[in-house]
Amino acid sequence: MLEVRNVSKVFEKDGKDFVALQSVNLTIKDGEFMCLVGPSGCGKTTMLKLIDGLVPKTNGTIVLDGKEVNGIPSEMSFVFQDINLLPWRSVQRNVEIGLEVRGVPKAERERRARQALAMVGMEADYRSAPYQLSGGMQQRVGVARAIAVEPKVLLMDEPFGHLDAFTREILQIEILKLWMQLKTTVIFVTHDVDEAILLSQRIALFQAKPGRLVEVVDVDLPQPRWEYDVRAHPRAIELHNYIAARLNAKEAD
Amino acid sequence: MSQAQMDIKSGLAAQRAKRKTQATRDNALRIGAIVAFLLVWYLIAIRTNPILLPTPLAVAESLWQMVVSGQIFGAFLTSFEDLFGGLILAGVLGIGIGILMGRYPTIEKILDPFVAFANATPMVAMVPIVIIWFGIGYPARVFFVLILAVWSILVNTLAGIKNVNRGMMEVGLSFGLSEAQIVRSISMPAAIPYILAGVRVGLGKAIVGMIIGEMDIALAGLGGLAATYGDAFRTNYLLAVVFSATVFGVIFVALLNLVQTKWYPWIAGVAGRQVSE
Repeated sequence: MLEVRNVSKVFEKDGKDFVALQSVNLTIKDGEFMCLVGPSGCGKTTMLKLIDGLVPKTNGTIVLDGKEVNGIPSEMSFVFQDINLLPWRSVQRNVEIGLEVRGVPKAERERRARQALAMVGMEADYRSAPYQLSGGMQQRVGVARAIAVEPKVLLMDEPFGHLDAFTREILQIEILKLWMQLKTTVIFVTHDVDEAILLSQRIALFQAKPGRLVEVVDVDLPQPRWEYDVRAHPRAIELHNYIAARLNAKEAD
Repeated sequence: MSQAQMDIKSGLAAQRAKRKTQATRDNALRIGAIVAFLLVWYLIAIRTNPILLPTPLAVAESLWQMVVSGQIFGAFLTSFEDLFGGLILAGVLGIGIGILMGRYPTIEKILDPFVAFANATPMVAMVPIVIIWFGIGYPARVFFVLILAVWSILVNTLAGIKNVNRGMMEVGLSFGLSEAQIVRSISMPAAIPYILAGVRVGLGKAIVGMIIGEMDIALAGLGGLAATYGDAFRTNYLLAVVFSATVFGVIFVALLNLVQTKWYPWIAGVAGRQVSE
């Protein structure tokens, strides 16, 4: 279980304080798929980076399985929107990076990197250079790099934001299948309400100025979601309208 | 073979033929320009005092004589030793100090004014002091090449280390790399394009340093030959030596390109210059 307790983040910029997040309390169950949704500037990406320790929090605590998290937790891994594969490394060596740090021996590293690549359908490209891959393929490698370390929690920051609609739909389904197979906790940031409804079990709605959590919505849609057209499902439409109204209403005041 | 396949095949053939014609025309232009240049040079030279401007044929003949006598090879070897020694030292010091400055802000703050000062100083004016410090032998010439070449390598390395994409550093951080591991596994490889660019600029300056050192510190190598022939007004030999020095630069640039394409093919790939067919 991952608990975010009373976490705030204030950025100081040119002598002025900017409240990126104000007293967020949020509990994410083991194996849960949760989306953080909200307009830009609502602090959802900051939330994700605070959880991973990439951005230091101003106050509050983050607790994973009863233990307070400080610094960069090795039980979590991050999938970035800008994938930033290291261009001088092959695809496989990119996936190995987290395993290297954890001191995994070479042969084992190679085996696990190949296995992670196979899970995202990239096993044939392990020798390629990143610049030879399309955007969608690069993001698959980005996901492989994150799951290779077998994290308890997978943090994904708008991973499909730069991809075309067609590739995005394919990868959404694949990430769902991967999640069901690995049973990891996933926290997924997006500004796309439909994407959040398709993927998650619960959606945390964030608002801007100041950035804050306003509501957590249950997505009570049947699984597996790739077996039917989620967007056409009456309950999904209801949820979509509710969330859209909630976000817009708040934005108006 | 289907009609569509045949269409593609003929289209592809036309595409290739067009590219080939274009390449042939480009080459013809280049060769034409060189021939025209030599011709104009020749026409002016035959109406001029050969001390002012010898004909291209006279220059070629002088070069051939220096090849036959072996004189040019001795000069080449000496110049190579000067350039190589100075450039290796400049590379080690420039890259090493550049990395240290990029990694430790304190070191950068301390050394920055000195680097800026040295970079703005016309090092050519240092010849007399170099002679006073090192005499007129090999160490003096190597040191002179070093102080000309080192600054561009240092400044570029520093810029490369400092300009590493923040996103890449964040990837390293999130996977738990330590500060030292980030420098080794991310900053340094990411700075390689900058470092190579610095070495390229440094090479040009090193060649200048080599020639001036050989002319002004003690007559040696290609610079020494050029000075000797110049003083004797043997312009045909002088120009032959100058063109030999050009060959030097060309060889070293080719070597650098080879290093880049062999060891760092990703630089071209990232820059989008990789043509895939």
